[in-house]
Amino acid sequence: MIYVLYAIVFVICVYTGRHYWFTLNRLFGFQRHPYIDIDTADWPPVSVLVAAHNEEKVIANILEALMTVKYPADKMLVIPVNDRSTDRTREIIDKFVADFPGRIQPFHRVGGKGGKAAALKDAMELVDTEVILIFDADYIPGAGLIKQLVAPFFDLEVGGVMGRVVPMNAGTNLLTRLLDLERSGGYQVDQQARMNLRLVPQHGGTVAGVRLSALREIGGWNENSLTEDTDLTYRLLLNGWKTVYQNRSECYEEVPEVWPVRIKQIMRWAKGHNQAMMTYGLRLLLGKHRATLRERIDGTLLLGVYAMAPITLVGWALALGVFYQGVAPLHGVIALLSLTAYAALGNLAAFFEIAAAARLDGTRKRISLLPFLILGFGVSIFSVSRAAVSQVSDLVTGAEFHWDKTERFRKVL
Amino acid sequence: MNPILAVGALVFMVSLMFLLPLIPGLVELRRKSDALPLQVVQQNAGEIRHFAIGFREYIKGLELTMQRCVADGTSATGTLPDGEEYVVLGRTDEPLVLALEQRDATHPVVMAAGTDLTLPPDATFSKDIYAGGQFIGGDKNIYRAILGERNVSLGNSSRVLRWVHAVGEFSAGLGCRLFGRVSSDSLIRLQADCSFLRLNAPRIEIGQASSNADATAPSLNNPANAVSGMSRRFLHDDDFEIKAGQVITSNIVIRGQLHIRSGARVCGSVKSVKDMVLEDGVAVEGSLISARKMRIGRHCAIHGPVVAERELAIASGVRCGTLELPTTVSAPRIEVEEGVVVFGTLWAREHGQVVASQ
Repeated sequence: MIYVLYAIVFVICVYTGRHYWFTLNRLFGFQRHPYIDIDTADWPPVSVLVAAHNEEKVIANILEALMTVKYPADKMLVIPVNDRSTDRTREIIDKFVADFPGRIQPFHRVGGKGGKAAALKDAMELVDTEVILIFDADYIPGAGLIKQLVAPFFDLEVGGVMGRVVPMNAGTNLLTRLLDLERSGGYQVDQQARMNLRLVPQHGGTVAGVRLSALREIGGWNENSLTEDTDLTYRLLLNGWKTVYQNRSECYEEVPEVWPVRIKQIMRWAKGHNQAMMTYGLRLLLGKHRATLRERIDGTLLLGVYAMAPITLVGWALALGVFYQGVAPLHGVIALLSLTAYAALGNLAAFFEIAAAARLDGTRKRISLLPFLILGFGVSIFSVSRAAVSQVSDLVTGAEFHWDKTERFRKVL
Repeated sequence: MNPILAVGALVFMVSLMFLLPLIPGLVELRRKSDALPLQVVQQNAGEIRHFAIGFREYIKGLELTMQRCVADGTSATGTLPDGEEYVVLGRTDEPLVLALEQRDATHPVVMAAGTDLTLPPDATFSKDIYAGGQFIGGDKNIYRAILGERNVSLGNSSRVLRWVHAVGEFSAGLGCRLFGRVSSDSLIRLQADCSFLRLNAPRIEIGQASSNADATAPSLNNPANAVSGMSRRFLHDDDFEIKAGQVITSNIVIRGQLHIRSGARVCGSVKSVKDMVLEDGVAVEGSLISARKMRIGRHCAIHGPVVAERELAIASGVRCGTLELPTTVSAPRIEVEEGVVVFGTLWAREHGQVVASQ
């Protein structure tokens, strides 16, 4: 039991070190934004897929925004992927099609497998451009975003591109404010540090792009994946393609405003991520492919992010067990120093990362909400652990994954 | 001590210690003083002329005054709605009578001229300048920003701190320092020893011998789009060399250093993860991207974007992009020899320097 606990502590320390490495890199390291300065070019044709399933509250906003972006109109085709919507989504899309002839080609899907990946896979029959951009329907792209997301594709190593997600309803309540801080840490520090250090920036499946030839090479969208974005990141990596992150390509999104929706969302992410870990983890770390050593290590750690919640819970249980068994492998000063060191540095790592992100974003007072993150952390650790348990039980019972759409909170137009 | 009281005190103290770090957060939650979404640039789109367009809008209110001053041959002073002082100049024969005659003077007023504007040397203009006609600056001047509706010409050793936009041609004399954005709707011409950051124009000429670049660089016959033109790629995990005169008909990704020998032609795009060297007379019909340093030899022609993540050196006679299909040349540090022509954007994030042709 004690050795399992040692192993868990070691893994937690590795993740702690990773948090510090990323944060210090963002604060003091060389920052990579190689493609953001490409503002003039012979821009390639691009298809913009907008994934929509019952999105009557938000679909008009994104279509409006896409019709005003600064990209040659004759080179950009918007394809709203209306996935079996039962609300007014179809009607709203069709109105835009009529208002902007030739610029929007709708894909109304009435049947087939559920989930975003399955819908995108079916919509590929309309796509013939080398560059594909993907947005969820609740996003609102700015005028220059399309060019910024297309620019990295001039680099032939790049198979996928990811932009930065910024919550637009950040100030609604405590949950949205905590999610705003989490997003800030995740993108401003984590993703950009991975970009700086040539590790594995993660494709987020929205405010994102993928190269058609790369997608074909890796076998297209994986409709069996709950998180098609994580799945895509790893299949691209294993096939010699890079995913790059553009921190300055920002786009507004809507974050969940109530805890049940947030819990559902994070449980789906956890299941999808764990699914990718089971599928690609060993192959990434030990297999024969073109990923570099640092990509193998970081990619594996990234795959294990959601597994850390149940592992931490097990660690806590083991620590209690060890304590009540009277096992004391470390004594006196060493134990005290270890505990103090971890309490001072280990527990602080994630908070340090988010505080650094807030500083980089130029915000000040929202940092005072940092202590409340313990609440989000508590909810996450139990939700993610619950997702992992249900995933294992699904494996045993043979139950199929269920794809839960994230509820929207904007008012219907 | 009463045990109940002791337990109560303990619970109170623990609760207090737990709540203490939450107090600033609770205050912030209530006041919402920093609760707005992060600023995302929705409309600017990185447009290089953004400040120039804004300034033109800003001084619209002076249009009538400028017309009157031009017609009357007089000057006028006043204050703009935001409290900035301005001077409108109307006479081209003696335009600088308003305390501008002194050398080494600093002029902290917005300056607008409805007609041609010629400024004396050795002066500092710490507010934006508008010229409705030609703008000719004296040597060793320091400007904050200039908007010229026709040609803008800076004297030797001048400095621009924020931006310049010329509707006509822009030219900078020897040894100018151009911080910020410089744009023109027709042509930018920089002389030797100039430094720059961000330039954008249909045609950017570096130094005197620029016209030779068109004639000496290899031709790009109907180059395909650098992204969509060709999807096949050749991936190599080590250093690689393309032989002199060789013609490559695919995209190339090299995970080591790449050396392209003289006269080679790549009918596609090129990426190297380490340093990249192009010898003289190389033609690349797609993009050219290096994750480290890049050196482009004399008389090369590149069609697509050129990006070096560390440093970029461009030798004389190189041509990037075409008038019909402009492109971007970008790196943190760029050293460009006289005789180079770039169609589109030349962007040095940290420092760009014009050097004499070798």
